[in-house]
Amino acid sequence: MKKILSILLVSALTVSVLAGCSSGKKEEAPAEGESAGGSEEGGITVAAIETAYGSKMWEDVCAAFTEETGIDVELITDKNLEDVIGPSMQGGDYPDVIHLATGREKALTETFIKDQNIVEITDVLSMTVPGESEKVGDKIAGGFTETSLTNPYGDGKTYLAPMFYSPCGLFYNAGLMEEKGWEVPATWDEMWELGDKAKAEGISLFTYPTTGYFDAFFYALMYSVGGPEFFDKATNYEEGIWDSDEAKTCFDIVAKLASYTEPTTPSQANDQDFTKNQQLVLDNKALFMPNGTWIVGEMAEAPRADGFKWGMTALPAVKEGGDSYSYTWFEQAWIPGGAENQDDAKQFIAFLYSDKACELFAGAVNADGEPAPAIQPVLGIADTLEGDNQMFYSIYDNGAKAAMGNFAAYDSGVVGVSNREVWFDPVNSLVSGNMTEEEWINGIKEINDQMRENMVQ
Amino acid sequence: MERTKRSSAEGLYKVFIYVALITLAVSIIVPVAWVFMASIKENSEFYGNPWAKPAGFYIQNFADAWGKARMGEYMLNSVLVTALALLILLVVALPAAYVLSRFEFKGRKLLNVLFMGGLFINVNYIVVPIFLMLVDGDKFLQGMVGSGFLLNNIFVLALVYASTALPFTIYLLSGYFSTLAHDYEEAAYIDGAGYGKTMIEIIFPMAQPSIITVILFNFLSFWNEYIIAMTLLSDPKGGKTLPVGLMQLTQAQQSAAQYGQLYAGLVLVMLPTLILYICVQKKLTQGMTLGGLKG
Amino acid sequence: MKKRSGRSRFVFLCAAPAVLLFMVFMIIPTINVFRMSLFQRSAYSVNEKFVGMENFARLMSDKNFIRSMQNTILLIVVVTIVTFAFALVFAAILTREKIKGQNFFRIIFYIPNILSVVVISAIFSAIYDTNNGMLNSLLSLFSGKTVAILWKGENMVMTSLIIAMIWQAIGYYMVMYMASMASVPQSLYESAGLDGAGRITQFFQITLPLIWTNIRTTLTFFIISTINMAFLFVKAMTSGGPNGASEVVLSYMYKQAYTNSSYGYGMAIGALVFLFSFGLSALVNVVTRREPLEF
Repeated sequence: MKKILSILLVSALTVSVLAGCSSGKKEEAPAEGESAGGSEEGGITVAAIETAYGSKMWEDVCAAFTEETGIDVELITDKNLEDVIGPSMQGGDYPDVIHLATGREKALTETFIKDQNIVEITDVLSMTVPGESEKVGDKIAGGFTETSLTNPYGDGKTYLAPMFYSPCGLFYNAGLMEEKGWEVPATWDEMWELGDKAKAEGISLFTYPTTGYFDAFFYALMYSVGGPEFFDKATNYEEGIWDSDEAKTCFDIVAKLASYTEPTTPSQANDQDFTKNQQLVLDNKALFMPNGTWIVGEMAEAPRADGFKWGMTALPAVKEGGDSYSYTWFEQAWIPGGAENQDDAKQFIAFLYSDKACELFAGAVNADGEPAPAIQPVLGIADTLEGDNQMFYSIYDNGAKAAMGNFAAYDSGVVGVSNREVWFDPVNSLVSGNMTEEEWINGIKEINDQMRENMVQ
Repeated sequence: MERTKRSSAEGLYKVFIYVALITLAVSIIVPVAWVFMASIKENSEFYGNPWAKPAGFYIQNFADAWGKARMGEYMLNSVLVTALALLILLVVALPAAYVLSRFEFKGRKLLNVLFMGGLFINVNYIVVPIFLMLVDGDKFLQGMVGSGFLLNNIFVLALVYASTALPFTIYLLSGYFSTLAHDYEEAAYIDGAGYGKTMIEIIFPMAQPSIITVILFNFLSFWNEYIIAMTLLSDPKGGKTLPVGLMQLTQAQQSAAQYGQLYAGLVLVMLPTLILYICVQKKLTQGMTLGGLKG
Repeated sequence: MKKRSGRSRFVFLCAAPAVLLFMVFMIIPTINVFRMSLFQRSAYSVNEKFVGMENFARLMSDKNFIRSMQNTILLIVVVTIVTFAFALVFAAILTREKIKGQNFFRIIFYIPNILSVVVISAIFSAIYDTNNGMLNSLLSLFSGKTVAILWKGENMVMTSLIIAMIWQAIGYYMVMYMASMASVPQSLYESAGLDGAGRITQFFQITLPLIWTNIRTTLTFFIISTINMAFLFVKAMTSGGPNGASEVVLSYMYKQAYTNSSYGYGMAIGALVFLFSFGLSALVNVVTRREPLEF
């Protein structure tokens, strides 16, 4: 179900088996790059997965790169990129740059990480962007090169370059907040105060489309409560982690939020009726909901209260002056150890953060010819965007920190349960009062050990 | 005195019956009619009173459902799958039912018991093993000829439909064949007709009413089926049947909510079965007594 | 001699395709359900690991499975009793009484049965909507205040499913019983009427006993069908939610196989469903055994 992005980017756990089984059969001929140079004489080969953003943008960016640097690029794009480049890599023929996110079922990127077969690109951060005067590291937005997804060995060295991000956060009606003179809460205490004020006016504080939307919410919450260390421990199912004070704070916040949730929410929190929950925000019946930037297009035709204006905020801080976090999905590009033209490959990666490349990515159109902007994680990118996207993507420019990562993948030793069932589905029951916070936590603890023992290493 | 009391009780009883019947009828007509009404509403009309009359006749919903939501393509798939499955089913089941009911041979009893037992196996109990079998088959084929073709193949889907409908169909046809006198065949044999010719030219035409029942019931079940279709046609960008496409439309997230298209899609799925039903409802409800159970 | 060999070749040619398809797509998958229930198999590792009865042991302490089983049994009991009671009574009324528009009612009542479950689920989504639903807005109209029942909420979701399933099934069985009731000789009722037996007595003393064989067969198959229909409805209407409150055994099986990629575990559920439905059918068959009445 859920967000297309999460299916593309996130956690092997959620990758549907059906999708997995169908992949590998549809072998489309690799699209030819604009410049048919080939990699023999100084050129590089770039292999990029084709996702919802389409493949046209890659052709454009490669052409722009050749124009800027004179380095020829042979481009390979395919929806099932692993099947196209996998066999030749086994034969020792590696692309120079691979754009392929972690969390795909074939786990190609994970395999390379595990085998320590990826070229370190920390030095790329101090390189100058081709055709510009700024350094790469100065352009990439804060936090994006400090996550376990880009620095997999936890040694402060960057191996994977962060690509296309999509922030998630709490969405609300900015028009209503203005009209009532309410401030967007900076801490959870302010949040509860606002909840009581809103209640007096017959407005609920919170709703959610389905419990699936709690993953991004819960990740950001864990970050804001305990920082990256707590997040890493929790997502690796560390023993006893759910008895910690940090965990307790997270659970308490969600449980309290459940008591502030619009009461019809759980009965509509299914695949058929979730838009009705989203409609609650448009109708001023609920103030906040966790969601992603696609919400604007999704509800484009829905009627809304007078003066409605989309607003998006990061999760409030736990206490005054604490960090507020917003979760983001993003993909990665990297250089395999077997690449022949590593220097040119690094040039290419640096170029991916140039204004020109960012503009081309942002102008992406999908296979149906509709705009599907791919947004690079560079500072100030929001200024180049239009409309609601400008506000959404500037969330990190306005002080929020980026929360990234996800629950560690586990193998078939975990039988009969999934993260969503254990962590997030019970929120429905918390809201309707069919379950207590205690029961919810116990359910999580029971399953935590099973997950840890069967983690994919 | 006695008489009026009796007739007033009788009248009350009649009123009660009519109220009950009409209530049930209304509870069926109204929601179905409502879908037709909703299918011509504009998207923005779906957020208010559900009983409001449509503001106009918004035919664009159907165009969008047909084109943008790919319902036209899915409709073609559904027609193909249903027709293919019915064809395979009849070609396979008719001769089998004939010999199983009218010929003595070794193993006949066992086969009859097996097919009877098949009546108790619901397809959805075994959809997972069927899927895995096809996955394995595809993997094998990939090794042998470079690509698998069992999944995402509407012919295979039709074959699965036909196969899983065999027990019911054979049960129904055998029931009819065994009521026929053996004289028909004797006479044909004397005239020099072979087994095949006798079966096709003498027996099958007599079984026409049963064959029509088989077609009607299986048409409905194939046309409306969605679990197997969803499982076996798993390629997200590939072909789907109408009910699966419709389900995807009701559950589409991250794309604009299109209620108008959705209800237009519902109408597209319902209409063929409703039209067929109105044309053949006599035959359909008569046929039920032949089978006596659900396919 | 020549004729004999031609005969067995004919029998073989007629029966073989059906037997082959039946074996490949029904018998082998059924055997596989039981075989795979003893293994651990996931999407990521194709290797199967033999785990014996471990999957079953785990099921016995799986709260979600137990809940899905309870939900299934609840549906079987309530839906069966209500559907059969209504179907029999309405069928008796429509065959025995002089009702205006009898044919009309018969045609209308049958309509839900020809609709795809996907369509029915979409219809009931519109009916059950909390704020703009047909049902709540009607109830508000009659009660004079705003009714906001959470039909798909945790406390009501099973009731909502039951209503939808009865709505779907009632017409089919009614039409079937009408057909069998029509074959009960009128003279029996006439003589009973002369003896002073009222409608209710006639229904229990004449109608029910005489169509008992039919009721018995349909009841047996209705149980299997309900297990299956519950899955179709849940999958299209609630996805098992909220928080597993409407999960039924087959939807839980499907979820284990496709969402959690625990195929072995899913098949252990499948094996239990098989045993459960066979057992229940057999039980019903024994309990409802009566001396068949002839007329």
